[in-house]
Amino acid sequence: MGPLDDQVVRADSLTATPDGLDIAVYSHWYRALPLPSLARVDLTVDGERIEPSSLSVTVNGQRHPFAALAEKGDEYWFTTDPVLLHVPVETAPGREHRVRLLLGLSIPYILTGPDRVPLVAPSLTDKTLTAAGA
Amino acid sequence: MTDTAPGLPRLGTTLFSLSLEQRKPGRDFASLVAEVAARDLGPGLEMVAFQSLRGWPRLDDAAVREVRGVIESSGLTPSCLAINNDLGLYPGRLLTDDESHEYVAVQVRGAAALGFPVARVGVETSPAILERLLPLAEELGVAVGVEIHAPLTIEAPPVAALKELFVRLDTPWLGFIPDMSSSMRAIPEAVYDAHRAAGISPELTAMTKQLWAEPGPTVAKFPELERRAAEAGASPAQVGNLRMLFTMHGKMEPERWADFFPHVVHVHGKFYGIVDGPDGLTDPSIDWPTVARVLVEQRYTGFISSEYEAHAYSDRYDAFDQVRAQHDMLKGLLEAQASVVAR
Repeated sequence: MGPLDDQVVRADSLTATPDGLDIAVYSHWYRALPLPSLARVDLTVDGERIEPSSLSVTVNGQRHPFAALAEKGDEYWFTTDPVLLHVPVETAPGREHRVRLLLGLSIPYILTGPDRVPLVAPSLTDKTLTAAGA
Repeated sequence: MTDTAPGLPRLGTTLFSLSLEQRKPGRDFASLVAEVAARDLGPGLEMVAFQSLRGWPRLDDAAVREVRGVIESSGLTPSCLAINNDLGLYPGRLLTDDESHEYVAVQVRGAAALGFPVARVGVETSPAILERLLPLAEELGVAVGVEIHAPLTIEAPPVAALKELFVRLDTPWLGFIPDMSSSMRAIPEAVYDAHRAAGISPELTAMTKQLWAEPGPTVAKFPELERRAAEAGASPAQVGNLRMLFTMHGKMEPERWADFFPHVVHVHGKFYGIVDGPDGLTDPSIDWPTVARVLVEQRYTGFISSEYEAHAYSDRYDAFDQVRAQHDMLKGLLEAQASVVAR
């Protein structure tokens, strides 16, 4: 909730590549977060749900399978940098896609409840955007 | 740099106030620091290390030199570096005490390398870890301060445990960082913007504000809030947003900040908007005249970092202008209090 929600997926965030759709995603949290904080990526593209296990993610120039991020506690996603979600859907430059993303960031220093579980800060995007060429 | 009169708290800014400004095209760390200085919003400079410093917590020597150079050339004075104890770093477990100690110690060393006299941690840093950090803090000359932020108050058990620790150790190298979010007199108006964007009606926001303002402990009001919100048709996500208002805005009486002394190492001048009313500059959400009186009476001469946080709710206001207004208001209040207290 707040002004940064609208910047999570931006007008120029979609790129068509030979192996699918790349989505540049920006953080709605104010500080750099360790990579395991990228805890929840509920993504649908054109109504089709994308399994997180089929995603890979480029952060700091390195590409990782989504599940591998949970082990990367010594790397950080900097405040103003995008991460790139590589999504295995067919696309082409100039094609429009409806992107619905519920991004849940696990906030590792805000512990909630008697079990001291990290807060998950959600941000919901629902935008129809045009893919650029790679 | 404009400064308050000698013997009074000093003013400053945390770059956290400029969280939206940081995202604008062409902005970088150096330009934000330079603009804080150019607009005379020092002399103190605070920042959140993980927000402002790329590569934190592992800055190499060249990065340290560069950051120090930016601060030195601005003429600002490093006041506090906000660091984090990311206990929930890995899914399904919390860091062990040894891991937590090491995670924070690396950052206290980083704060020293950058020339900051105070490092801020959150209340998730336990008294045991703080006591283990004391020799390092002493050796480096960096005080480690625990931020007291809403929903914490002087009565919260973790705060009482900290107070006991600080009294027992009686050291200038560990202490509190009061944040005015714990002692507010109203939920800020800026929240209406965020709620509108989240599909929450102004009536529901007004109901929450009113319920918050009624007498009684906030924590006891959650069931009533949830009942009324559900009756009005709020979704679970919207109820979560309304609950957040109770968590982010505390109602401790501002006079109680006196109870945190003499163990105060820094102050967060949290605020959500200054308005120019019939009586001059005022803060509808925070009773700054009382806070100023407490700080002057306690002979606090450290920094008050202006921490504008309405950017979490609204992009309608200019953060630089807001900090300017708060500085003008605070300078007047502190200097007026000084003459009252001196009598």
